[in-house]
Amino acid sequence: MKNNQFKLILIVVVALVSVWSIWPTYRDHELSTRLSSFRSSEDSLKFAIDHRTEIEQARDKSLKLGLDLRGGMHLVMEVDLFDLIEQKAWNKDARFQQIMASVRSSATNSGANPVELLATEFKKQNIPLSRYFYDIRNSDQEIIDKLNKEAQDSLVRAKEIIRNRIDQYGVAEPLIQTQGARRIIIELSGVTDETRVRKLLKGTAKLEFKLVREPEALLRAIESVNSMQAQAPSAPADSAKAPVTASRPSGRKLSEVIGVMKNGLVFTPEYARDYVASVLNREDVRARLPQDTELLLAAKPELTEKGEKYYPIYLVKKTPELTGGVITEAKATFGSQNVQPEVSMSMNDEGTSKWARITGANIGKQIAIVLDGAVYSAPVVQSRIPNGNSVINGISGLDEAKDLEIILKAGALPAPVRILEERTVGPSLGSDYIRAGLLSMIWGFAAVAIFMIIYYNKAGLVADSALVLNILVVISVLAGFKASLSLPGIAGIVLTMGMAVDANVLIYERIREELAEGKSLKSAVEAGYNRAFSSILDSHVTTLAAAFLLSQFGVGPIQGFAVTLMIGTGASLFTAIVVTRVIFDLLIGSGFMNEKSFG
Amino acid sequence: MRLFQKTNFNFIKHRRIAYVVSLLLLVTGMISLFTKGLNYGIDFKGGSEVVIRFQKSVDVGSVRSVIDQAGVRGSVKQYGMERAVLLRTDYHGESADLKGLITRALAARIPGNAAEIVSIQAVGPSIAADMKWSAIKALGAALIGILLYVSVRFEIKFATAGVIAIFHDVLTVLGLFSILGGLFDFMPLEVDQSIIAAFLTIAGYSITDTVVVYDRIRERIRGQKPSEYERIFNESMNQTLSRTIITSGTIMISVLVLFIFAGPAIRGFAFAMFAGIVVGTYSSIFVAAPIVFDWQQRSKAAIKLRGA
Repeated sequence: MKNNQFKLILIVVVALVSVWSIWPTYRDHELSTRLSSFRSSEDSLKFAIDHRTEIEQARDKSLKLGLDLRGGMHLVMEVDLFDLIEQKAWNKDARFQQIMASVRSSATNSGANPVELLATEFKKQNIPLSRYFYDIRNSDQEIIDKLNKEAQDSLVRAKEIIRNRIDQYGVAEPLIQTQGARRIIIELSGVTDETRVRKLLKGTAKLEFKLVREPEALLRAIESVNSMQAQAPSAPADSAKAPVTASRPSGRKLSEVIGVMKNGLVFTPEYARDYVASVLNREDVRARLPQDTELLLAAKPELTEKGEKYYPIYLVKKTPELTGGVITEAKATFGSQNVQPEVSMSMNDEGTSKWARITGANIGKQIAIVLDGAVYSAPVVQSRIPNGNSVINGISGLDEAKDLEIILKAGALPAPVRILEERTVGPSLGSDYIRAGLLSMIWGFAAVAIFMIIYYNKAGLVADSALVLNILVVISVLAGFKASLSLPGIAGIVLTMGMAVDANVLIYERIREELAEGKSLKSAVEAGYNRAFSSILDSHVTTLAAAFLLSQFGVGPIQGFAVTLMIGTGASLFTAIVVTRVIFDLLIGSGFMNEKSFG
Repeated sequence: MRLFQKTNFNFIKHRRIAYVVSLLLLVTGMISLFTKGLNYGIDFKGGSEVVIRFQKSVDVGSVRSVIDQAGVRGSVKQYGMERAVLLRTDYHGESADLKGLITRALAARIPGNAAEIVSIQAVGPSIAADMKWSAIKALGAALIGILLYVSVRFEIKFATAGVIAIFHDVLTVLGLFSILGGLFDFMPLEVDQSIIAAFLTIAGYSITDTVVVYDRIRERIRGQKPSEYERIFNESMNQTLSRTIITSGTIMISVLVLFIFAGPAIRGFAFAMFAGIVVGTYSSIFVAAPIVFDWQQRSKAAIKLRGA
């Protein structure tokens, strides 16, 4: 009996800890119900202020719901390490570009490390990596190590920058973590404007200040590109006759969609922008331009008097005079006429002195402010700027200006990122899922509990009370470890209900057999527990193993299922074996149970 | 209450019928797997899934034609929820564009019935390939792990037969998914991550029922002559029949509740679990123990016992 006393205390402690851990969840629910029950918003505000600490504490410790239940975004993004490798390479020639292109295409369908892939390809072609990377004296292995280190650093940096951006945008409890060598997982709950968030996360924010070349050079460059296009056989002969449509400018010659104004401004109409951008990006087109220059499109269109939109094209020096790394502060404001939003920036000491020198040396010339390869504005330098201030204008709305501010403050991503996987659940579907989950839990418990009572009588009741404790333990462990409950997690709990009573079924069937052999109730119970134990252990261990593997391989939602199944199965070893045993000992001792109590 | 009074089925005598049934199930499934293949979900295939919910009930055909005319190539089906349709299309890097395109087209062409995009899932091809690979790894690891555990707890004949039974169960359910895939609108039976979760749970559970039968055989066979084995196998299976079926029954209750109440996202999983438990219960009686018996008969050596 001494042994039982210890077990009894243990059970009471487990039950109390569970209730204590679930209590904030209950309080949170109760408080938010109270909050929404007030008629006027003043009343609810007053209540919220009066009970502020209590509300916050309850919310902090309550069971978190998964993204699928409260609505939100789950994103997997990938850092483009190929871009990073290209940034690190110097002396890039056609051979290098060709190798990069082939490695890039072979990597699209695998998670293999780009650095390793590149190294293998170089080895196959028998070119030392040092021809393009770092120092000529470095061995291949040294360069691979360096590149790998760069790749690793860039992933961590990208994660930090994304975290900064999200924090400044303001999302409650974002989850941001790296996965493998190049992926970042982001979970954001309750996001209302997904498009904006997506843009905020993806923007590389590579800010550059580039000198604009004189208009004559621009005209010559455009002519040169046009003449090359004229020789190009790819343009179909009848394309000139085709009507001008927004969707099919691609068959047209560049000269038909690029116009030159009298004042030397070169532009393209809105419908042809994507096509022109893709032509300007082509390697053979780039090669026709004068040394160290590139053609860039404006980020925002300008309007003609007739309301047509067109995008200016600029010829700029490829090497930037200054890059965004020197920016220390950015602020979204309204410009001088108080209508156009703009972002004003200040620079660090090094940037300030450089900026003063650059502006001083180029008075009367245009300097383009280039963000992620698009020209935002190209003001003419009026005078030397000594204080390190600069302004981005040409922004369409205040939201965009604010996002730009966030991106500039958080810094540029080391390399572009792509969204690989996205799962978004709206709040309305989330509340449907909550209802479905609650219904399944209630019906699952009711059906299993009633079945056990019908089939096993009083003993079934004992198993049911163990089941209640089991569910309490699962939920309290989830709440205590700040894990979140998702719909698959609820499925795991419902499934656990069916599995947890299995141990009792095995024991009870054994007890029935022992009773049929004529044993006394006490020794039948004793034998039932002892002999069924080995089967119970085996079945629990195999289920635990399967759930563990699932939690290791699964992502997001499936992990939720695996975790609840693991906790539930583990807890049922305790509740179904220890708890029910103690209850039986107590009940048999008090004469409440007899041979008929096992059905 | 008792569902099974003292039963006295001669399982061992009729085991060849069970072998034939199992083989038929497996072969049919395999033929379907190789000819029709599996209906993969976007987790493993890549692509985008958009759930659109309307304010009033809507004709799926008209939604299909609107979406088709908007230039989105894909399939539109009834989703297992009221007034909702599911659009399945290729992977788009920018699901924001896709969302805008659909919302505009539906607002213009189906006025007076507001459409809301309630969920978007987009999985890129590289991630889908990764997930498929890790699913295969997890299933492989689970089978090896269970084989190791059972061979520590039982002797190798029992362990091997148990793992054969697991293969039998998982492959039968896989075959069922291939045969029935895409036949029902309310449950498309696509193989996605949740189905892998079901397979792993089935693998873990399949051995549970088997272990119950094994335990009894092991308990009773101690010190018996090989000529008595057939009787002991049969008696053990009959004695454990009740608990084998009741334990499956309680889980079946849970799974049925999930199937009915937990919504379309869980339905495929619940179906896989249901089928897995039925087949798993069958296989522990008709596949695992009879294989041990046949193997034993052939090897002629007495069973070496291990464990308690």
